[in-house]
This record gives sequence, structure tokens and C-alpha cells, in this order.
Amino acid sequence: MNWKTVLLLVSVNRKANRAIRGAKFRRYRDNKLFTYGLYALACLIGILAGGLIGNFYSASNQTVQTAVLQGTTYFLVSIPTIVLLYGLVFTQISQTQRIGAKVSVQPIYWFPISWREHTLASIIANLLGAPLLITIFISSALLVACVFMGLIALAVLTIVALLASLILASATTEIFKTLDVRLSGAITKAAGKSAIWLRLIFSVGSMLVFYLIYFSIYNQISPALLFESVAGGQRAVWFIPYVWPGMALSAFASSLWMETIFFSLATLAFAGAVFLIATHINTRFGLYELPAIKLSSGVYTPKTSLFGKLGFSPTETALMKKDFKGLTRRHELTFIFIFPISMLAMVFLSVLRMAQGDLPPVGISYFLFAIITLFPGIWIAPFVGGMLTGLEGSSVWYLFSSPISAKSIAKSKFFFVAFFSLSVTLICSIIGGIVFRPSVLFVAVTLLEAVFLIFSLSAISVALGIKAADFRGFFPFSRVIKPKWGLLNFLLCAVIGLAIVAPIIPYVLSVFAVSFLPAMPLLPEYYVYAGLFLSGIIAVAVTHVFRGVAVSNAEQVIAEAESI
Amino acid sequence: MHNSVKSIGSASLAVKLTAVSKRYSDVTAIDNLNLEVGKGEIIGLLGPNGSGKSTLIKMILGLVKPDSGTISVLDIPLKQNAIGVKKRVGYVPEDSTAYEFLTGLEFLDFAGDVFQMGLDEKKKRIEEFLKALSLEGREGDMISSYSEGMKKKILIISALMHKPELLLLDEPLNTLDPKSARIVKDLLHQLALQNVTTIISTHVLEIAQAVCNRIAIMYEGKLLALGTMDELRQQAKMPNSALEDIFLKLTGTEDIQPIVEALSK
Ligand SMILES: Nc1ncnc2c1ncn2[C@@H]1O[C@H](COP(=O)(O)OP(=O)(O)OP(=O)(O)O)[C@@H](O)[C@H]1O
Ligand SMILES: [Mg+2]
Repeated sequence: MNWKTVLLLVSVNRKANRAIRGAKFRRYRDNKLFTYGLYALACLIGILAGGLIGNFYSASNQTVQTAVLQGTTYFLVSIPTIVLLYGLVFTQISQTQRIGAKVSVQPIYWFPISWREHTLASIIANLLGAPLLITIFISSALLVACVFMGLIALAVLTIVALLASLILASATTEIFKTLDVRLSGAITKAAGKSAIWLRLIFSVGSMLVFYLIYFSIYNQISPALLFESVAGGQRAVWFIPYVWPGMALSAFASSLWMETIFFSLATLAFAGAVFLIATHINTRFGLYELPAIKLSSGVYTPKTSLFGKLGFSPTETALMKKDFKGLTRRHELTFIFIFPISMLAMVFLSVLRMAQGDLPPVGISYFLFAIITLFPGIWIAPFVGGMLTGLEGSSVWYLFSSPISAKSIAKSKFFFVAFFSLSVTLICSIIGGIVFRPSVLFVAVTLLEAVFLIFSLSAISVALGIKAADFRGFFPFSRVIKPKWGLLNFLLCAVIGLAIVAPIIPYVLSVFAVSFLPAMPLLPEYYVYAGLFLSGIIAVAVTHVFRGVAVSNAEQVIAEAESI
Repeated sequence: MHNSVKSIGSASLAVKLTAVSKRYSDVTAIDNLNLEVGKGEIIGLLGPNGSGKSTLIKMILGLVKPDSGTISVLDIPLKQNAIGVKKRVGYVPEDSTAYEFLTGLEFLDFAGDVFQMGLDEKKKRIEEFLKALSLEGREGDMISSYSEGMKKKILIISALMHKPELLLLDEPLNTLDPKSARIVKDLLHQLALQNVTTIISTHVLEIAQAVCNRIAIMYEGKLLALGTMDELRQQAKMPNSALEDIFLKLTGTEDIQPIVEALSK
């Protein structure tokens, strides 16, 4: 193992993040202060926080001190497992981003670099950024606080365990990354068109599992008990090697020396094993192979699609079809579906509770129905609308060089976003309706408001999304749009969204109030109709204005094509 | 059928640039350039890297706006009706690819719709081209899995299939296999007979010599020379030379031997 090569590779990997951050290309210079300053800052803040906790400890009385000591021990013992979890999450996220931005660092196989060096460098580089920053902060805070409490040995050991956990997490991510690329290639080769759906369902499924776990934790355990239950939980699953760093610590805290030594050695052995596996898998599959996705092999029969029959021009239809394919086929974009799915997970959990005979009050179930119907749409519309133009990426040259008018671009993007959000909203509201059984009037009002919101927000976000588009060839979500405009998009959507639902709010509030305090008077029904009417007027006006803005923004973008 | 190169009446001009300039901060990409291309001509753009070939092509398409000067394409002043012009032009970019997440067939279907081709015509043209460029059997694969040459072929098809009147091809042949390159070259000749104009940039001098009626040599944003092979020989005062020698002389790099010797030490 040549350590210099490893360091060089780490720095190459680190620089690959430029593409994700969207650094400028010409005359690029590294900002050393920024790169290393952040870690120093995290350390400094950690030391300050640790000092505060330590001071608090010294100043308090005997009972408080005992309680704090007990709590701290639980915290220390559980923190390696928590670090492992967030280490896994962060390294996975950064990998997905890189694969999306096409900057996963490929091994340059014709250079004299061994697979072990490549794998190690990749594992270390994965940790740079958020995981390392958080860990440095925790470690320095721990160390300083524990000096006050006289737990120095435990604190030092904890820090070692944290590093072990981080490396375990990153090595595991490395294995998954290689397998994922390989597997999705293999699946797609074998399964043809269904592969794309398989991929989508797989991503959505894993999100669902994640959110179910999240919600069940959220519903059952208060944050104060979290550390205690992690500490207890990891004893229960001692046979899972990933909790061994925590086990070693907890053994040390209870002065079980044999166990401490055993779990420490076991951790080392496991980390070594994971590293070897990662190296082996990289050796076997590491050279990235693009999946040969075969979507169709039969005869080509061009058709007029549904949109065409609805009166859209062939150009507009083609643009919408393309955008739909882009949105469902790109691995990285499945995050858009997280929100609706977590909503449905919430429904699922409520069903579980109802099955236990735990019927929610009417107000709550109406409220849940409204949320399930409204939120997915008003999440998807600003998000997709804001990104859709930027997602053209470097292929935008085709739009510029083809006879496509600004109006067609704006129109197709707007209707695509609106129809897409509407269909998700419909699905969610049907499921919500079956579970929560709201009244017909309530369903109608909620759906109408959803339609108003979706059309207005789609118009706003498409208009601003065209302005915000950042076509610089690579594809990290953060730089598909220029941050300033992205922020403006969400602010504007929030304000105008509130304005649209505002007229209906008094009546809705009174309905909820009645369900909790039956003595409250219900507002007369005409309030609903008046409110709906007002909402509708605002929505139509907003949609009209922003569709105009979208067209003129598109004209401007086309006129400035060369600066891309 | 009119394919005369010598006598260009101003009514039959496909492209006309008058005193066009373009600067990128400290670089002059195009320097006060005049060019007239008649309908049915095939013009070859030659020039060292960075001499402004791609910039010129993008200007004719309207993607790059000139700082000064006027451009008219197919008798339409460019500023006035960009979409009308684009409808009648086929463009192959130098380095960009099509949407990678579409299959080749889906992209061509998309392009056909954008250029508003009828369903039957679209199907017929796509199938003919896929067959001619040996892409049959791979049209259902995602473009991200194509080789460089296959990606280029898809772009070439999308530029040709809607029967444009002006073709702007930026190094279209450099990754194509010999058979496909030959088909495209012969096709350009055939189209020229039907009055289709082609402007093609290339670094392969043989291609320029074999395909083009007239050759333009660019250097630092200027047009050093423009004419048929004979006219170029006259201009360079090298009566019996090959295009390579003329090119090297005009672009001021004829003394290559000392450079090679220094490098090989
Ligand atoms: N967007 C841009 N920003 C800054 N400079 C540019 C830009 N586009 C082109 N240039 C500059 O303009 C000059 C001409 O570039 P152009 O791409 O037209 O050259 P070319 O003749 O096509 O070269 P090649 O043979 O390498 O394709 C170059 O010096 C280039 O650096
Ligand atoms: Mg070029």
C-alpha cells in the first residue's frame, strides 16, 4: 500500500465535489481557508459547547451531577451506533449525488494504482464533509465535557470508537455503491423495460422502509429516551457486528475488561473484513459498466398520444413525454416521491392504530385527510416545476437549436407539472378518503383547493424555474437551479399558497373547533362557497399572470442561449 | 437542377455574413468576417483548434449572437425569425449529446415531433436512416449506453431526417466508422444536387477535399482563404501541392521539422 498514492487519490476525490457544488470552470482556484477552516470551526464550536456543559456540571449539586453522569454514560455508549447510522446516510447521499453528477471517481486502470489503494482512498474521501464535520464537533465537545466529569478514558475510547464506526459506515457504502452500479446494470440487461420500473419501485420501497422506521420511532420514543433505548437496543442485537464499537464502550463503562478487549478486537477484525470485501468487490466489479438498457425491440409504431388528443401540438406533446421519461428514469430523482410516500406511510400507521381499536377523533381524521390530499401536490409542484427546466442540463442545446417557441416550452412545462402533481394528489386523496372517511362536502372542498393550489404553484414555479435554470452540463440537484431563484420560488409559492387557502381557513377552523368543543357554533355553510369562490379567483389570476411571466422568461432564456 | 458555384446571385444565397465579429472577454473568436454561401454548395471549414469554426456555425444557427455585423440565413435576416430559420436547418453539435435517458428511437421520435413531421413520414425516415447507419437492433437501447460513434449517428439522423435546406455539421464524421462516414458523405453529395446547402467543419483534410465544393480556411477568427482546391493552390502560390501543405503554409506552420526534432530529443 502506497500511502502517498492514497492521499493523492483522496484529494482527487475531494476535488470531484466541485462539480456538485457547481464551482466555476475557468481559472479555478481552491479555497484552502474554506476547505480546512470548516473543520477547525467545527472543532472550536465543539470545544465551546463542551466547556459549557462541563461548567454546568461543575456548578450543579450532587443529585444533578449523578443524573448527568448517568446520562452522559448512556450517551457515550450509544453514540458510536448513532454515528454509524448518520455516517451511512451521509455517505450514501454523497454517493448518489456523485453518480447523479457523473463525477464518481473512476479508477484509472491504466495507472499504477492498486485496488486496495483505490478502495481505501474512496472510503476516506466519502467521509469528508458533513460526516467528518459532525464527528469532529461531537468528539471535541465530548472530550472537553468529559474532562470536567472525570470520564477522560471513556471519552478517548469513545472517539476511537466513533472513527471506527465512521470507517465501517463508509466501507459499507463503498460496497453498496459498487454492487448497486453492477446490479442495476445486470437487472436492466436481463429485464428490459420492466427494469426501469423495478428500479423505481426498489428506490421507493427502500424509502418506505426508512420512513416507517422513522415514524415508528417518532411515535413511540421521546427524544430523551432515544439514547437510553439505543444503548439498551444495541445490547439486544449484540450479534450485529456494526454495534460492536458501542458494545466495547459499554463493556468498558461497566468495567468488564474481558468483554472490552473482546469487542475491541472484534471491531478491528470486522473493519478489516469489510475493507477486504470492499476491495474484493471493487476488483471484481469496480470498472464502471454502463447498463445497456433495452427498452423496446419490437416494431416502431409512432402514435398520437393522449396529450395530442387533448389539443397540444406535437412539439408540446413531445416535450412532455420526454420530461416524464426523464423524471421516472433517473435514479436520483426518486427523492421527489419521498414526500407523498411518507404521507402514505403516515396513513398506514394510522390504520395500524385503528386496527388496535384506537379510533382518532373526527377532527384529527379530517385533518389527516386534508394533509394527505394537499401536501403531496404542493410539494411536487414547486419542486418539479422549479427543476424541470434546469434538468435539461447540457442537452438544452437541442431546445435552442430546434424550432421550438418560448411559448411551447413554457406551456408544456406548466401542463406537465400540473398534470403530474394532480395525478399524485388524486392517488393520495383516494387512499386517504378510504381510510379516513371524510364527508362528501369536505372531500370536494379539499380537492378543489388542491386543484387551485396546484395550478397556481405550477405556474409560479415553472416561471421562476426557467429563470433559475443552470445548464452547466452536470447534474447535482443543488445546481440544477441557481440557489437564489430556487429560494425565491419556494418563498413565493409559500406566500401565494397561503393566500389561496386563506379564504377557506375560517370555516375549516370552525369545523375543527366544533369537533373538539361541541359547544362552539359552526359557521354557516355559505362561508365555504364564498371562500372557495375567492380562492378560485386568486388562483386563476395567479396562474394567468405567471404563465405570462413563464413565456417571457423562456423568450429571454432562448435569446441568451449563447451564454450557456 | 441548379448547382452552379461560380455565379451566385444574391437571391439564391443560403448564408450571408457581413462584417461579423464576436469577442469572448479577451479572446476574439470571430474577427470581421464576410462569407457568402450559395444554395446547393458544400463548404468545408478548416482551421486550427480555437480558430472559430464552431463559433461561426453556432452564429449561423442563431445560438451565438454577433457583437456586430449582420447574418442572413436562407434569405431571412437572422434576428427576425429565429424559429422559422431553425425549422429549415439541421444541426449536429461538436461535443454535446442527446438526452441520455431516452433510447435512440425515442430521441428520434421526439425530434420528429419537434420538427412536426407526419407519423408515416417519421416512421419511414427513421427506419431508413437506422438501417443505413447500421443502428438497427440498438435503437431500443438507452443513449447513455451507446458508443461515441453511435451517439453521433443519432444526432446526424436527427439533423437530417426532417429534410432541412441547410445543414450545419460541426465535425460530424470524426467518430464514425468508414462505412457510415461514406454513406453520410455520399448523402451530402446527393442532397447538394437537390439544392441542400451544407457547411461542415472538419480536421480531416481528405474529407474536406473529397466532399466540399469550396474550402474555407480559418485562423484566429479570420477567413484566410476561401475557394475551390484550384483557387486555394493559386492563392498559396503552390500549384501542385496537396491540401495539407497549403493548409500548413496558410496557417503559418510549415516549419514542422524543427518542432518534431526538439520533441523527440
Ligand atoms: N463560451 C465561450 N466563452 C469563452 N470563450 C469561448 C467560448 N466559446 C468559444 N470561445 C473561444 O473562441 C475561440 C474559438 O472557439 P471555437 O470553438 O469556435 O474554435 P474551433 O475552431 O471550433 O476549435 P476546434 O477545432 O478545437 O473545435 C476559442 O479561442 C475559444 O476559446
Ligand atoms: Mg470546434
